[in-house]
Amino acid sequence: MGKHHRNLLNELARLRMEKGLTQQALSESAEVSRKSINAIENGIYVPSTVLALKISKILGCTVEDLFKLPK
Amino acid sequence: MTYLSRFLYLFICGAVQIFFGAYLFLELMGADLGWPIKGNAMFIPGILIFITSGILTASYYFGDRKKNNALYDEYTALRYYKIGAIGYALNGIGIFILFSIQDWSNWDLQSANRMIYQIASFAWLIFGILIVWFSLGDYKEHKNG
Repeated sequence: MGKHHRNLLNELARLRMEKGLTQQALSESAEVSRKSINAIENGIYVPSTVLALKISKILGCTVEDLFKLPK
Repeated sequence: MTYLSRFLYLFICGAVQIFFGAYLFLELMGADLGWPIKGNAMFIPGILIFITSGILTASYYFGDRKKNNALYDEYTALRYYKIGAIGYALNGIGIFILFSIQDWSNWDLQSANRMIYQIASFAWLIFGILIVWFSLGDYKEHKNG
């Protein structure tokens, strides 16, 4: 499962897999590169608000389900 | 435009820039390399950058939208900004050093001219290295990342 960015915890990999989507399929729906999705899942990159909203819409969850601030 | 073609365009531009930038910088710093490059050949890296910029800009505005969503996405832009910022920082340090090593006690127009060329060739060299770095990282991430 994915790693977390120091400023952002993410559940993207888990939620994506639950939906049965590949990184490629999700990236095409979200209109970004596959490496962006991979970078988010591995805590390398914090997505923009627009991209976070797009991903949450595709996965049918809220942004808070996907991303959380570390305590 | 594909990841491979973008890699090739940028890598070739960067490599040519490194070659000419390094050559000019070493010559200006007093290293006699012994194989002169004809003056007109110095236009080659500039022409390459000009053409490549044109191709990339055209592909951004007129290329396939679906492909461009991936090619020019926000993560790629962030990598580009970071590498650009490193370039400006290195050039700032380099210009400071080049200023510091000049012989200001015997300053004349020729020295000023030489220093301007030193700064230009140094910046050229740094941005050449960074273009190669960006192209390699971008393509590697596309394949494995």
